[in-house]
Amino acid sequence: MATPAFTFTPSTFQKLHPAEFFRRFTTEGVRPDGRLLDAFRPTTVHHGVISTANGSAMVRIGGTTVVCGVKAEVAEPKLDAPDQGYLVPNVELSPMCSSKFRPGPPSEQAQAVSEAINRVLKESKVLDLKDLCIEEGKAVWVLYVDAVCVAYDGNIFDAALAAIMAALKNVRIRKPTYQEGTIKVSGGSTATDENSFTLNLARTPLSATFAIFDTTLTILADPNVTEETISDGQISIALDETGQLCGVTKIGASSCSQSVMRDCVQSAKKRTQQLRDIMNQQ
Amino acid sequence: MSRLDRTRTSAHQLRPFFSSQNLLNRADGSAQFDFGESSVMCSVIGPAEVKLRDEKLDKATLEVVVRPLVGLPGIKDKAREQAIRETLEPLVLSGLHPRTGIQIVVQTMKDDGSILATAFNATILALLDAGIPLKSILGAVTCIVDSETNQILLDPTTQELANAKSTHTFVFDNKSSITSSPENKDQEEAVEVATLYSDSTGLFSEEEYFECAQICYKAVQAVHGFIRTAVQKKLEKEQQQIHS
Amino acid sequence: MASITTEEESKLLIVLPGDQLPESGLMEDSSAAHRLTLGPGLAPMDDDSITAVKAGILKHNAVGNRWWVESNQRRYVAAQGESIIGVVTGKSAEHYKVDIGASQPALLGVLAFEGATKRNKPNHNIGDLLYCRVSMANKDMEAELECMNPTTGKADGYGELKGGFVIKISLGLARRLLDPKNLVLRLLGQHIPFEMAVGTNGKVWVNSASAQHTILICNAIRNSEYLNSAECGAMVKSLVEKM
Repeated sequence: MATPAFTFTPSTFQKLHPAEFFRRFTTEGVRPDGRLLDAFRPTTVHHGVISTANGSAMVRIGGTTVVCGVKAEVAEPKLDAPDQGYLVPNVELSPMCSSKFRPGPPSEQAQAVSEAINRVLKESKVLDLKDLCIEEGKAVWVLYVDAVCVAYDGNIFDAALAAIMAALKNVRIRKPTYQEGTIKVSGGSTATDENSFTLNLARTPLSATFAIFDTTLTILADPNVTEETISDGQISIALDETGQLCGVTKIGASSCSQSVMRDCVQSAKKRTQQLRDIMNQQ
Repeated sequence: MSRLDRTRTSAHQLRPFFSSQNLLNRADGSAQFDFGESSVMCSVIGPAEVKLRDEKLDKATLEVVVRPLVGLPGIKDKAREQAIRETLEPLVLSGLHPRTGIQIVVQTMKDDGSILATAFNATILALLDAGIPLKSILGAVTCIVDSETNQILLDPTTQELANAKSTHTFVFDNKSSITSSPENKDQEEAVEVATLYSDSTGLFSEEEYFECAQICYKAVQAVHGFIRTAVQKKLEKEQQQIHS
Repeated sequence: MASITTEEESKLLIVLPGDQLPESGLMEDSSAAHRLTLGPGLAPMDDDSITAVKAGILKHNAVGNRWWVESNQRRYVAAQGESIIGVVTGKSAEHYKVDIGASQPALLGVLAFEGATKRNKPNHNIGDLLYCRVSMANKDMEAELECMNPTTGKADGYGELKGGFVIKISLGLARRLLDPKNLVLRLLGQHIPFEMAVGTNGKVWVNSASAQHTILICNAIRNSEYLNSAECGAMVKSLVEKM
């Protein structure tokens, strides 16, 4: 082959042809950040990071950081479900975490992630909403579960779901007393098992996300933000501690065969187990 | 076993299809698709002018708007917009119409379960009607695993959905079967099922998920066949003056 | 995937996006050159197969081994050499901006008229209706128009359309109206004298002695799209009788 008329530095090449730059790495079985194709980024979980919240946690997956706080408030129940409380998850992607998000109403991505997490929590019956009842037909607890992304580097679904589950496990609510239309919640002194209660979670769904790159269907575990922008689609798989599936989503890209899906489920099983261990350690 | 809606006798039976193309006067393409009592209408405008902010230099910009049956669009509709848009983006040959916009509006007309699948099928019919260049067509079907009988029920109604342990929606294109020759069609187990879009919620095992995929894949072949017949009927009607 | 067989020539061969053309069918009557010409609705894919990208009828012409898909749509996409009807929406020193119903307005040079010079050129105003020819169409650029035959420099019927009435129909129906044997136009011509211009962009201009006649013709054209020959005859007859 003739010598090229001009040459690029790697960083110029990356800017000109991000996908081709990336393809050169994946054909060698590695990624530009040094990870193997099936490797997840280092993950840490911290519990109880916000002292004023009823429950909180912070999850870091590589460069993505999500802080989640749970606040319990008293509200009136719905007429058609007088003995059930509410669980209101919300994921916020503000301009603080990445320049790709604009200020203003929540972006489509933020709404889609919130909805996906809401469905996992609701459909896999993580929490019995009857546990949140204070007095039937009069008062119930509303749990506002706010996950705020403070640094965005891809894979917000895994990070937000892990932060929300860790925060829910961490929740401690003072026992209320209901007396003739008023609710008293004991304050003062430190929370103990006698004056407060924790949530009884039926299961802890955690997820693993994979990006589908190229027509060759290269599967990249735990994509970061550059990998997300050049990838054609994503697969997210949520599992509980018994290995039961709680949600599968495959979106975008051309069709992807069942064997690829099976591989992803296997990989997700390993990953969520590892994530569970990290979560229980600290 | 009789289904809850009493019109079907088998768990793997779909409700009757209905479709109608080219029903809106001012849109470039439109279609309605029904699964029994679930009905979705879709309109397509494009390739048309696009806002400068959304303009892409090398391809068309796809915009999907999902309108609910009642009230204002909510977070659920936003999630559906994203699902439909990201599934169609690799399918539409958008490189043929750079710096243009294709707007797709999806409106639920009647809701009796399986709305997302109905919406996908209405959308592909509207895109065909509008003559937007596509790599292939698609077909969508929803199924559930019943919480009491553990049976897989195809194309559930709202009533059946309330009783579901898990809900699965699958979209397949018409190229996804990788069977090499027609003789292989007897060995249906050997069919390699490749999914374009998959969305599952609830609690289910790995085996259940892949069984649902297989069953939905077979059901989608009927949807593909129906789309082909619908297009054929429309074209024959247009051409009858010339060929009679 | 449904592969296409070319055995039955009489029956309409319907293709949908994703249907592949059989390799044998492509080669059967290709001459020594092994050349293949693909028209609208067909495209080569990544895996080297020829695939339909639009829903329509697969057509084949042995001369030059041409294959294309005859499809119908309402949105116009400019193609070189087609005659279209547009509306002037803006003018500058060198160009008129013309709305032709495509994604972007087309440009018509002020000198692209028969005998136009810098000193002596036709003056058109915003809102004027022009019958013109697409001189250049490219997906990455605005289409360019001209109001003359490029080989002779003569107007050849292109230019401003005065009076009359314009309707918008589907592109498929517009193409069928251009067929000299078109049924509805022949039937109408037996009863009413009229003149018309058909743009392949789906715009049809009709002019006749009275407004009633013009409206009748427009309605008959619109109604004819999904009718067979017998129904078409009855439709024209009933319209004419009501006059």
